[in-house]
Amino acid sequence: MKPGLAPALAVFALLGVAGGIVIATEGLTPSDADAAPAASASVKASQFTLKNGMQLVVIPDHRAPVVTHMVWYHVGGTDDPPGLSGAAHFFEHLMFRGTKAVPNGELSKIVARNGGQDNAQTSHDYTVYFQRIAKDRLPIVMGLEADRMVNLDLSEPNVVTERDVVLEERHLRIDSEPQAMAQEQMQAALHLSHPYGRPVIGWEAEIKRIGRAEANDFYQHHYAPNNAIVMVVGDVNPDEVKKLADEKYGAVAVRQLAPRIDEPPPPRLGDARLNFALPGTKLPQLLRMYRVPGYVKSPRGTAEAMEVMSSILGGGSTSRLYKALVMDKKLAVEAGASYDGHNRGPGSFIVYAVPRDGVSFDTLEAAMDQIIAGMLRAPPEEGEFNRAKTQLVAEYTYQHDNQYLMAQDYGTALSIGLTIEDVEDWPNRIRAVQAADVRKVAQTYLVKQESVTGRMSPKTGP
Amino acid sequence: MITRFAASVLFALLLPVAANAITVKSVQGPTGVDTWLSEEHALPMIAVNISLPAGSAYDPSDKPGLANMMASLLDEGAGDLTSDAFKQALESRAIRLSASAERDYVVVTLTTLKENADEAFRLAALALGHPRFDAEAVERIRVMLQASLKQDDEDPSKVAVKAWYAAYFGPHPYAHPTAGTPAGVAAIKSDDIKNFAADHLVRGGIKVAVSGDITETQLKKYLQQVFLSLPAKSVPVVPKPVDAGKPASHTIVRNEAAPVALFGSPAPMRADADFIPAFVANYILGGGSFSARLMDQVRDKRGLTYGIYTQLNDFRSASILVGSVQSDKGKILTAIDVTKSEMAHFAKDGATAKELADAKTFLTGSFPLTLDSNAKIARTLNGYQRSGLSADYVEKRNAMIQAVTIAKVNEMAKKYFDPTRLVVVIAGTPAMAASAPKPPAAANTVPTATR
Repeated sequence: MKPGLAPALAVFALLGVAGGIVIATEGLTPSDADAAPAASASVKASQFTLKNGMQLVVIPDHRAPVVTHMVWYHVGGTDDPPGLSGAAHFFEHLMFRGTKAVPNGELSKIVARNGGQDNAQTSHDYTVYFQRIAKDRLPIVMGLEADRMVNLDLSEPNVVTERDVVLEERHLRIDSEPQAMAQEQMQAALHLSHPYGRPVIGWEAEIKRIGRAEANDFYQHHYAPNNAIVMVVGDVNPDEVKKLADEKYGAVAVRQLAPRIDEPPPPRLGDARLNFALPGTKLPQLLRMYRVPGYVKSPRGTAEAMEVMSSILGGGSTSRLYKALVMDKKLAVEAGASYDGHNRGPGSFIVYAVPRDGVSFDTLEAAMDQIIAGMLRAPPEEGEFNRAKTQLVAEYTYQHDNQYLMAQDYGTALSIGLTIEDVEDWPNRIRAVQAADVRKVAQTYLVKQESVTGRMSPKTGP
Repeated sequence: MITRFAASVLFALLLPVAANAITVKSVQGPTGVDTWLSEEHALPMIAVNISLPAGSAYDPSDKPGLANMMASLLDEGAGDLTSDAFKQALESRAIRLSASAERDYVVVTLTTLKENADEAFRLAALALGHPRFDAEAVERIRVMLQASLKQDDEDPSKVAVKAWYAAYFGPHPYAHPTAGTPAGVAAIKSDDIKNFAADHLVRGGIKVAVSGDITETQLKKYLQQVFLSLPAKSVPVVPKPVDAGKPASHTIVRNEAAPVALFGSPAPMRADADFIPAFVANYILGGGSFSARLMDQVRDKRGLTYGIYTQLNDFRSASILVGSVQSDKGKILTAIDVTKSEMAHFAKDGATAKELADAKTFLTGSFPLTLDSNAKIARTLNGYQRSGLSADYVEKRNAMIQAVTIAKVNEMAKKYFDPTRLVVVIAGTPAMAASAPKPPAAANTVPTATR
């Protein structure tokens, strides 16, 4: 994320009761991280291609007089040059360093003065910049994004100073968070030499190697209209947005892009284990990551079956893991699973549990393995199977209740190579999953050699 | 080319503030429960927020965490449904029901697809009217809450919040940590929970906000179903604190690379005519993220922090101005010093006309962003209800902000933004150094450290 909000927001979320901070509205606790999730049959997206190759997607949502404007670049942590992990994320920071027309830091202030919010986010696969603002201010934010797409001030002091900011961010977000540190190590062990094994924020020693020349090179070969998708979701109609986009983005020149390398994941021949005793850990945790297929490179229906399997195994209080480990055997305080398949490369499937006082990791892991083995042994029962599908489908509606999350849903899909139809048809594909499919993906993909198991123990002694 | 515009041109583009898209209706019915409805038929779903006067302020002082524990158990079995059966009933229809304690209220959120509304309100009625509090669930949730308290203790922000409320409110019940303490949670008995529920899950003082695909007629039927069977009793409002907010400074000794400081002082009550002007003043000093003075001075000019914010928090019986800053342990004291001197400067010299204009543009222009989904509308409206506002507040709110004058903002700055009145708590031991604040760097230089 962009330089900005996280640590203090965490505090304020706790101050609870009445204060809002993100958008400074009194009397509530606003947040775009709405838990509420997704789907509406009435949503109709329009897609255009501008003359310079820029993709434009418009999704009307007339419930409030606001828009979410996003620019998705096809560049992310996987595009970091060798030895320069963190380059894409570092560059995201530099995009706030200003242009001749809009000096350093001014962009966010202009957005705020117009009643809007802005931020950015870098993943392994994409980098996205967004503003949420009253609909009549759309021309302003489009102008700002078009400007920084080509006119960035990459002077030496800007790059050098921002590097310190990024290092500081790494210290705060990773190096002082035991869970984040452990997960970073586990991902490296899971993906081996594939770029997903490198942290998006970068290894400290490599962040330090990124300078002005590297930044400029990155800018010249990845930031261009022919490498971007603009999404506008909100109280607009497609034709007016198309006209505006032509006017604001249409003249930005095409650039020669660096080819994107699509590295195949290397084979894994054995499972891996990592034991942590990191400073600051107070609560022990058992975490296992599996390398599994994502939506892009697997046969249609595979990822959907993984979603259903994830929900049955660890999606809530009636899931198998919670019921067995927390309710029945009383070995764990908390247990669950989650699946992330929205990647260009492999997806990941995570199973976790927090042991009760006095329960050993060995005992807990053995019980967890037993539950996982059950997924492979037989197809799910009708009740849990239907419950999982019902919840996933409803999730789509709940998520699309939130304009930002809806935009994020479409944007992520498009940026990893899926289509608008893929997004809108998702509930139907979940409904089409069969019980036998769930067992099959469990058998095929929940295999030990595709996994890394981490045990986080509280640090004892000084 | 798009590159030609200059920043100054952008300000000329400011347009009138967009109208709000929602209409809030106050729903009257036999239950007498204060209910607001925003009908919105675009998506086939309904979001409901229910606030009950059962917050942590009502915890017995030797059992902090009781309200939160009761809230955590509301979806753990009700009527003839045991915990597992209740969860299955919810999940089989993708109904979401959850509850958590704040200081005055327990807030329950209910989210459902329209097609499952009957079942959703039936289960909500069971949860509020007939919670079971079975021994198995009580023990399981107790262990979960204990673990969560342990995890909170990993986070200096959470440690600071807990300590700040204790320092500021002293013996007043707003000092209770909403999630309780390990000893408190350990001491809570099943009967404590049952008695607390009997006293607090009552009809008097409940606030309900609903947004989504539902008509007033349907809603009235559901309200009767959920609330008519609750005892028609009330819960006394927490007394006003008498001696709260005595200026002080505390450090919680912990080894933190980046300690978190909370600082705060008394603020006008929500119903006070000072509240809105003080809210605008707060935006200028510390509420407006990138445009606020504190962010500019503490972060951008000096690189002392990744983020610094202040806000007004109103409770039923108190109101506070509270801020937070996180910084490296070698910089945290300097960050606090700079914050205090900026506050003093603000109190003395007030705001500029441009700052006030920018504040009004942001605060009015961003308002629709808080009301663009059913979940946000229900949450926002329920917050307004808790603050004692009327259902037409959404319509009046932007005009109230526009009406604030520079003289009034400056009066507020003097009256409420006084660094000598701050209660300061730092979670994490500061490293030595930091005497006088460094002078600000030249306007165009960039932060040198955290942002």
